[in-house]
Amino acid sequence: MMERTLRENKGSALRRAEPLHLLKELKAILYLIPFLVPFSVFYLWPVLRGAWMSLHVWGIQGMEKYVALANYRKIFVNADFYSYLWNSFYFVLLCTPTVIILGLVLALIINQNIRMRTLIRSVFFLPYVLSVSVVSFIWLRLFDAKNGPVNALLHVLGLPVDINWLTDHRFVWWAITITTDWWSVGFVMVLFLAGLQEIPTDHYEAAKIDGANAWRRFLHITLPGLSSVMKIQIFYQIINCLKLFGQVQIMTGGGPGDSTNTMIRYIYVTGFKKDMFGLAAAQSMVFCFIMLLIAVVQFKITDRKDG
Amino acid sequence: MNKAALNIVAVLLALLFAFPLLWMFLTSLKPDGVNVYTLGDWVNWSDLNADNYVKVVRDSQILRWTWNSLVIGVLTTVISILFSSLAAFSFSKLPFRTRGIFYVLIVSGLLIPTEAILIPLYETALHLDLIDNIWAIILPGLTNPIGILLLKQFMDGVPKDYIEAAQIDGSPYFRLWWSICLPLTRSAMVSVGIFFFILSWNNFLWPYLAITSEENMILSAGLPTFLSNNTMSLNLIMTASAIAAIPTIIVFILLQRHIVQGVAMSGVKG
Repeated sequence: MMERTLRENKGSALRRAEPLHLLKELKAILYLIPFLVPFSVFYLWPVLRGAWMSLHVWGIQGMEKYVALANYRKIFVNADFYSYLWNSFYFVLLCTPTVIILGLVLALIINQNIRMRTLIRSVFFLPYVLSVSVVSFIWLRLFDAKNGPVNALLHVLGLPVDINWLTDHRFVWWAITITTDWWSVGFVMVLFLAGLQEIPTDHYEAAKIDGANAWRRFLHITLPGLSSVMKIQIFYQIINCLKLFGQVQIMTGGGPGDSTNTMIRYIYVTGFKKDMFGLAAAQSMVFCFIMLLIAVVQFKITDRKDG
Repeated sequence: MNKAALNIVAVLLALLFAFPLLWMFLTSLKPDGVNVYTLGDWVNWSDLNADNYVKVVRDSQILRWTWNSLVIGVLTTVISILFSSLAAFSFSKLPFRTRGIFYVLIVSGLLIPTEAILIPLYETALHLDLIDNIWAIILPGLTNPIGILLLKQFMDGVPKDYIEAAQIDGSPYFRLWWSICLPLTRSAMVSVGIFFFILSWNNFLWPYLAITSEENMILSAGLPTFLSNNTMSLNLIMTASAIAAIPTIIVFILLQRHIVQGVAMSGVKG
């Protein structure tokens, strides 16, 4: 949508080649000022300032010296950077598909005429409005190796040993993924529901007459009908997963070892625990660059489709 | 799959989803050191009491944090909506040449998340002497351009005739906004407002950094202090979580329809 708005807007600005009336311009810009002031100070300025800071050695007291690209060199020769980057993308690989598939399944169920539909939909959606601290606290306790209900449930199902969900590097990402899925799947579901409602019912009627079974109807009508919502969701979830911080900060503290340290936590630790603001600013710039790269890919993909 | 089986699956899934919250409330009512582990613990309600709630409210500043969250949420939402509406009005109804440039500039705000500008944002807040001040949370909360995009779409739907008729009467721009566009986009403003409020209420990373004293914290950023506080037992942590969750759940139940609609709108369009 963002891309589309940009494009539409460009079009209309070109069409209307009006003469420049200074007073008219100023009057219109006046209405943008209230938004533009905080936007400039707390968004545009920090972006530029971050680029500037990244070229310096910068402590909590302020600028110390100009070092050109030395901070970036430090980042790229450090093996930590690649492992945190990999951690972030590993989480994307786990969380994005699971949350989208689960969200789609829930949306398909809710879209049927089942009993207590509204209540069940609310139950699925409710976790989304809770704050990340509440969600992380709950799952921190649920995943407790000794007294946690998750292991209790697995014992009932016949698992003989306790799983150290949050301290075993083989399971810790799954614990974070389950937590995140539970928290945000309601959002995905609601968007798919909105998408499902826009697919015309006569397509299904026609397919039924043609003898297509439920699976084929899903494959040939439902999925294509959801393709634009799907694309938006995939990119939205990728970006969301890359921003992972609260869950690991509260549930694992980046551990065991460094196995759940992510890009954002890396920036946080470098900046606020080690007081190396310049280096952290350079890391932020790398993160910004990754975000912009994803936006470009998204732009290209939606562009091709919309023509 | 037939309808009955689907119903059963749906109910089972709903129970699974509700489980963590039910468990949280149950544990929050159990005395220190008592775990809700086996099925027996679930049905044993004889030892339930509200002592934990009394203790958490007495020993921590959780009510104060709730109040701060509320104040910050309301201020951020109201100011955001007004500013976004003004800008949306300008983009939608006022023809001006530099419109495209400003629009691209503002939409670019969607590209880079707060997480990516943490360090310079902190530095900026430090310079403006905003650290440990609630305005350090409110002001950066006003930079989200999604409100402008959404409200602009709704303002585009306000018929040109209304605007032109009012202009012939000689109404100034401000009157066009205040007495025509604002009332006609009221329901969109409610949806966007709810979305902004949830964002603010659940905002974690930035308040976690920008607020340093316990009395100025908001709920989401204050809760983790329970972890480092050794005098708090594990059940009390669940009580604190429950206290933080209760207002959200009540508001959700009351405004459910608007919330779902607002979230769907912002998500599909965003």
